[in-house]
Amino acid sequence: MIKQYIQSQIGKKQLVAITGLALILFVMFHLSANLLLFLGPDYFNFFPELIHSTGIGLRVIESGLAAVFFLHIGLTVALVRQNRKARGQQYKSVDYSNRSIATRLMPYTGMILLLFLAIHINDFVLQDHSGVKSIVGGESLGLYGLVYNAFANPFRVGLYVLGVFSLGFHLSHGIQSVVQTLGYSHPKYTPIIKHMSRGLGVLVAVLFASIPFYFSYMNIVGCCYVS
Amino acid sequence: MGKRLDLTLRIWRQKNTNSSGEFVTYDLENVDVNASFLEMLDVLNEKLTLSGDEPVAFEHDCREGICGSCGAMVNGKAHGGEDKTTLCQLHMRHFKSGDVIVIEPFRAKALPVVKDLVVDRSALDRIIESGGYISVKTGSAPEANQILVKKDLADRAMDAASCIGCSACVAACPNASAMLFTSAKVVHLGSLPQGSTEAASRVINMVDEMKTNGFGNCSNEYLCEAACPKGIKVSNIAKMNQWYKQAMTNQPLSE
Repeated sequence: MIKQYIQSQIGKKQLVAITGLALILFVMFHLSANLLLFLGPDYFNFFPELIHSTGIGLRVIESGLAAVFFLHIGLTVALVRQNRKARGQQYKSVDYSNRSIATRLMPYTGMILLLFLAIHINDFVLQDHSGVKSIVGGESLGLYGLVYNAFANPFRVGLYVLGVFSLGFHLSHGIQSVVQTLGYSHPKYTPIIKHMSRGLGVLVAVLFASIPFYFSYMNIVGCCYVS
Repeated sequence: MGKRLDLTLRIWRQKNTNSSGEFVTYDLENVDVNASFLEMLDVLNEKLTLSGDEPVAFEHDCREGICGSCGAMVNGKAHGGEDKTTLCQLHMRHFKSGDVIVIEPFRAKALPVVKDLVVDRSALDRIIESGGYISVKTGSAPEANQILVKKDLADRAMDAASCIGCSACVAACPNASAMLFTSAKVVHLGSLPQGSTEAASRVINMVDEMKTNGFGNCSNEYLCEAACPKGIKVSNIAKMNQWYKQAMTNQPLSE
């Protein structure tokens, strides 16, 4: 039964939706932790230090996230491959002008996100949080300092803004799609969910993007929180 | 007599399933604006026949928008893109003199071109054969109030039942998915007392049959709903998604 479900068209979609939902919740959690950056290193560093102190717990969470992430991608690749084959001979004259851009770009924003994630993990997760890159004004500011120094580079700021806007775009279709694929539809609430999905996508992108811009500004004016 | 149009038609001509087709350009003058799209093609075919050429093959039957036989991509839109309109109900008043009209068959690997604009829609029949029916004998028309049906469910079944199986949803879907068609049949039968007994096996079998026939997956773009000449809603797809999940986990199907 499980095999039949995974092999079916709807089953695959629903697993993509459920893993997508888990990733959305992770993104929300990540975003709320990130917003603590605006309060300075004392407030922000508390959380990364806390999860690092759990030791094996952190590895379990990381492995779980990675499994969800790769399941989401693997199933999507399988679905997209079937979709590409399903047309057969391509249209010569098809008019897709009423197609939503976010929806159309889903596989591509997904691919940008994958690349972005690799860069992001290399920038912050794999670095020594109290190493030389975390030193601001002669003192290590932990992960906060790492973020501060990373966004001194305008190229990286641009890269992160592109990354988080791909994420926002991906979510603006993704959130409403989860609801439909898991089988919920309502004449009144479905249109509201569609608007909320788009709004949330923009909000997530803007809030995430505010961080590189903020640190880029901080680097220019040369001020930082040294407690 | 109405206004007249001079048109340039670019029509997909293909001898049979195995041959490779191509667009052929025809000039057609003096087309009545009150003609339907199929009547315009009739005029062209008359002209082609008289000049000894092969007429353009296209499928049609009722020409009233209720049988689901006709259909083609007109300027890149299934059935021409007018709201809730089949190709036979598309009228030439929507075009201007001097227009170039591109006419291409519906395309999906599961719906191969038979000739010119005619496609083989047997794949949709196979989906119906896999579960789009009820096995119990319902006998002759019973007394109307013998089996009570909730009004909202009766409405939902009736709306879903208006699907004419024209395959415009498959043609308009960027993934050539048959989800709107299949969901209309699943929801139509599953919403009513006589059809609900087999609803779980029906949804599993019909969804599997879609894949077997090589239709694509739903990516929630809703171009099917926009193209549907009968206004079938994508809420049917959501209902089918829900029922499929419940059927596969042996839960009772929700209303």
